[in-house]
Amino acid sequence: MEKKEIFVKAIKENEKLIYKVASFYTDCKDDRDDLIQEIIYSLWKSFETFKHNSSLSTWMYRVAMNVSIFHLKKNKKKVATIPIELENLNFAEIAVDDFEEKLKILQNHIKDLNLFDKGILMLYLESKSHEEIAEIVGITKTNVGTKLSRIKEKLRQQVSK
Amino acid sequence: MELDDLKNDWESATTQHRLTTKVIDQMIQKKYASKIKKIKYPELIGGIICLLGLGFVVFNFNKLDTVFLQAIGVLTMLLLIIQPAISFLSLKQFNTTDDLSKPYAEIIKQFAIQKLRFQKYQQVNAFLCYLLLVTIIILLPKLFYGKDISYNKSFWIFAFSFGYIFLLFFSKWVKKFYNNSLNQAEELLKEVEQ
Repeated sequence: MEKKEIFVKAIKENEKLIYKVASFYTDCKDDRDDLIQEIIYSLWKSFETFKHNSSLSTWMYRVAMNVSIFHLKKNKKKVATIPIELENLNFAEIAVDDFEEKLKILQNHIKDLNLFDKGILMLYLESKSHEEIAEIVGITKTNVGTKLSRIKEKLRQQVSK
Repeated sequence: MELDDLKNDWESATTQHRLTTKVIDQMIQKKYASKIKKIKYPELIGGIICLLGLGFVVFNFNKLDTVFLQAIGVLTMLLLIIQPAISFLSLKQFNTTDDLSKPYAEIIKQFAIQKLRFQKYQQVNAFLCYLLLVTIIILLPKLFYGKDISYNKSFWIFAFSFGYIFLLFFSKWVKKFYNNSLNQAEELLKEVEQ
């Protein structure tokens, strides 16, 4: 199979992952669509360097989350982007309303967390084990447990405010 | 809300996607790569203004007839070159990421360090801005009216006082803005290094 075919197949199989990461790090439809495009483009650019040392989804999470950090920074600076015209690409419209609603609630809760905690929390919400989180984030398994307890505490404090 | 409630909500939230081969193919085209380049409008506009200012001072440099005014003129020109250069360089290094498949913590660390460096560059630029404002006030009467700054004393006393008050508030705002931003980056770095 050709490299591009393998890549397209991998993206299709993991599009939920990309969509959820993009949704987690953005708070509006336009930003999310923009981020999805950037993630897929970055995945393609670094696809050659994927050495199978980790699983495909671990690699995808890393690239997607790392791209999101820099995307956030660009948006904070309110930098304009040049829109690209892609047919049939309107993720927000095809997303189920229920998801949008739950996403808003979630974003309201996590808005005060720092980028590091946000990343760990997202992987936890994605039902990743402590071991998988440790591999994606690059910290020890014990550290993941400690961080999650702290995040839990932070969220609790926010609610009681 | 507890973490487990959030998790349940996140898991139960359903999404539908439609990434077709055609759409993915369009996203990875080189054409797309060139289109997605971000334009740094504020930096670009600032750079153009500085260049226009530089051109104006160079073009009118012969009007500066004393050593003092010539020295101020040279200083102004240097500031008009250095400021956009600092701005572009700091942005360039901020946008550099070597390998996006590195662990998240490593990229966060890199991001926080770049952010700290960027904010420090911007602080230097803010200081140079004050200096530029002073040199421009000294040069303007000579360049526009051919008169020395001492010619219309009352106007310039007013201009300096107004400028000083403006700078006082502006510097306080800049300090507050950068301190908040620096603290956030430092906290993030501390968190990753723990």
